[in-house]
Amino acid sequence: MKKFAKISQNNEYLLLIVTILLVSIGLVFVYSASFYTAEVEAGNKYYYLIKQGVGALVGMVALVSASLIDVNLFKKFHLPLAIVSLIFLALVFVPGLGISKYGATRWIGFGGFSFQPSEICKFALVLVGAHSFGDEKVKKTFFKYAKVIFFGLAYCVLIILEPNMSVTVCVGLLLLALLFLGGMKIKTFLLFLLPFAIALPLLIVLEPYRMLRLMAFLDPWASPKNEGYQLIQSLYALGSGGLFGVGLFCGRQKYRFLPFAESDFVFSVIGEETGLFGCLFVFLLFALYVYCGVKIAVNAKDKFCSLLAGGITSVVAIQSLINFAVVTGSIPPTGLPLPFISYGGTSLVVFMTATGILLGISRKNNINNLDIL
Amino acid sequence: MVATFFLLFVLFCRLFYIQIVWGKNLQTKASDQWTRDLNLTALRGDVVDRNGEILATSSTVFNVYVRPNAVKNKENTAKVLADVLGLNFDLILQKVTKKGVSEVLIARKIPTLVVNILKEKGLTGVYFAEESFREYPFGDFLTQVLGYVSVDGIGQTGLEAYYDKYLQGIDGTLLTQTDLVGKELDGVQYYLPSQKGLTVQLTIDSRIQMIVENVLDLAMYQYSPQKAECIVLDVTDGSILAMSSKPSFDLNNVPRDDLQKLATYSKNVLLTDIYEPGSTFKVVTAAASLEENFLGRGGFDENHVFHNNSRTRVVDGSKISCWSTHANGKHSNQKLSDALNNSCNPIFTDIALSLGKNTFYKYLEAFGFGSKTNVDFQGEQSGLLIDQSLVKNADLARIGFGQSVTVTPLQLCLATAAAVNGGILYQPKLLNSIVDQYSGVVLTNPSVMKNRAISEDTSKKLAQMLEGVVSNGSGKQAYVEGYKVGGKTGTAQKFENGSLAVGKYVSSFIGFFPSNSPKYLVLMLVDEPIGQNYGSVVAAPYAKMVIEGIIDVYDVAPQE
Repeated sequence: MKKFAKISQNNEYLLLIVTILLVSIGLVFVYSASFYTAEVEAGNKYYYLIKQGVGALVGMVALVSASLIDVNLFKKFHLPLAIVSLIFLALVFVPGLGISKYGATRWIGFGGFSFQPSEICKFALVLVGAHSFGDEKVKKTFFKYAKVIFFGLAYCVLIILEPNMSVTVCVGLLLLALLFLGGMKIKTFLLFLLPFAIALPLLIVLEPYRMLRLMAFLDPWASPKNEGYQLIQSLYALGSGGLFGVGLFCGRQKYRFLPFAESDFVFSVIGEETGLFGCLFVFLLFALYVYCGVKIAVNAKDKFCSLLAGGITSVVAIQSLINFAVVTGSIPPTGLPLPFISYGGTSLVVFMTATGILLGISRKNNINNLDIL
Repeated sequence: MVATFFLLFVLFCRLFYIQIVWGKNLQTKASDQWTRDLNLTALRGDVVDRNGEILATSSTVFNVYVRPNAVKNKENTAKVLADVLGLNFDLILQKVTKKGVSEVLIARKIPTLVVNILKEKGLTGVYFAEESFREYPFGDFLTQVLGYVSVDGIGQTGLEAYYDKYLQGIDGTLLTQTDLVGKELDGVQYYLPSQKGLTVQLTIDSRIQMIVENVLDLAMYQYSPQKAECIVLDVTDGSILAMSSKPSFDLNNVPRDDLQKLATYSKNVLLTDIYEPGSTFKVVTAAASLEENFLGRGGFDENHVFHNNSRTRVVDGSKISCWSTHANGKHSNQKLSDALNNSCNPIFTDIALSLGKNTFYKYLEAFGFGSKTNVDFQGEQSGLLIDQSLVKNADLARIGFGQSVTVTPLQLCLATAAAVNGGILYQPKLLNSIVDQYSGVVLTNPSVMKNRAISEDTSKKLAQMLEGVVSNGSGKQAYVEGYKVGGKTGTAQKFENGSLAVGKYVSSFIGFFPSNSPKYLVLMLVDEPIGQNYGSVVAAPYAKMVIEGIIDVYDVAPQE
């Protein structure tokens, strides 16, 4: 840690504080949101907190390690990582390995350990993008787009088969962000956008439950017991919070009224217990994270690092924005965890690793800057 | 970055809207789902007599509920419930393990004692909801006057219905904080206790009422009549001390499955049914005559001798006869007091006709006939008085001795009271006061003087004459040694479907005492007695029993 303090000319010190704060808030509210259900269902009110705590510890080790590893190593291993991600995504469908919950198969597990491959592939895609568009050695225009688009679409197809609409949208948006950052011509970009514009409504119409959810978002009270239920409960939580909240651990919505209170809807619990001010604080932390990420990207020594930093920041920004929008009923409900805060070991470790990479890039910049001096 | 900040700002605005602008509304809706409430039925107020004796009371019983989701050990819970409540174990287990319901009713009307035993067992998910259960300590007593309540404790008939708004208490609630599926959360309960209804205190004296009930039962036994009815009235203020009619039923065992019986037996016939009063009505005619004479406008004084000794009168071609043959000098050269003693119809025909319809009707109205007494009870009739513009002499002649006019027994009581109490017509009343168990009397029901019917002087004379009826005349069977009792008998033929019913009579006696300063009035009616017809024979002895009872209860000193 002292290493960071010494060389914190850039914003990596701030970024680290922001990350630790986000993870800590996550631990507090995962516990707050889950202690009742954990007690009732698992007989241990610390059940989710312990699992999340383990995730946070592993994540911290991963963060520190990733920040110390030379970024070029990631560049070298981008392809194996992308392919391994693809294989893991495919393994979800292998009987015995895949774990189904809530009508979707999104996890693979062996022994007592399980994780969600879709969480990793987001960053694998970022890496592929950064390599293709950022490495001077990759010359052929067609090839460098083709590789990114191939992996992007392949991930999307496998994730939508799980099915997991929200992560698909997230990966799709990320792909677009990468192509845009990679300097695709506006015309080509728009042409590329076209199939997405067609695919999204199509995907919604294909699965009846998505259509119902869409309608529910427009008027949740039309079907308060079914499609509208989740959103109504989220609004009840936020609405009960008011300006300052009902007090930490004092929320009522987590008593099984609000589904996924500790994961996708943890922000509702934050809103209920700490009010508008608590929400504002979380918003500010994410804004600071994005600010630091963008600054690291801009100051990066080469294009690969810049794109990698930009991509990681994009993932965090996209996913947190979607989560906020869902929780506040601004877009149709879809299950996407809030980075660093929502319950989920894979997500936490992966986001902390990515933050480690950001810190690594920043550190490298500083060393270079020091060299110049 | 700019895009991200912009979107964050937009979402913050949305949050502001949800949490601040919309917040109160959302919170209200949310709080609805956080709690389950149990209604706590308020205890219904008591009905007591003028001395505080309880006539109707409510006790707390409990309905036992189970919330299956909150029951921890289902087998054990079902076993304890089945054992303590004496119910079938399998049935209870079925209820306790029922899915998809928030609460199931296990048993109704469980007394506090049993509930306390259950509470000690410390079962989870078992709840007790208070309910009030109506009891009538005297059973078949004051039945039609008190009335009964529905199974959910709402007054249906009688005073239970009339004073329902006072008797109804205010329900309370037990709010329990629960999770989504109704599982109770620790330590957060809100208890809003129920408030017991107010006490309704009646003018009824249960001791007198008890005597009346017994006497009527005896009359029912001895003469097997259709009905036997009695009212005891305090003539000085219109308070009803006792009021009963037979047949009746036990209020603790309402015959809800026999609607015909329920409707007939629960009717307070003393004010809902009308009849031709017959000779008891002669008191009114006599009062009118004496008062007119007192005012110097006609009528006959107490010394006037009626010389027409014929048994019959013919009015407008219609023949009116006396019940007596008038043979061997009976009913000859009678004064008013003799005519009352003999209950001689022709004399009262003469009086009615001599007064004329305008004068006579003025008195009929002053004595309250043709209009309701306004007693505090639902469903009172006003009786039938032929419209003054349509009344013929033949009708007027008959009204003079209590035919061609119908009254309710209560109306007759109040009119007779006015005739002997110094001339005041009172509004009868059953309610004495409304009492709050904490703050005392919250409402009193003062006696209402409606009007003066006759002068005090006339009233005194009349009372004296009626004393003679009991000491020397047809009312002898109501005479009580050492007491000044006044009264008048009545034997009226019944009308059925517009014509006289052969052999069907209403035998009655109306009496009061002490006649030098009247206080208590008793009306005894026996409807269609079998074997005997005359009021003097059938009704007077029962009235005597009631009078003796009153003397006994109030320890009335003998008069000179």
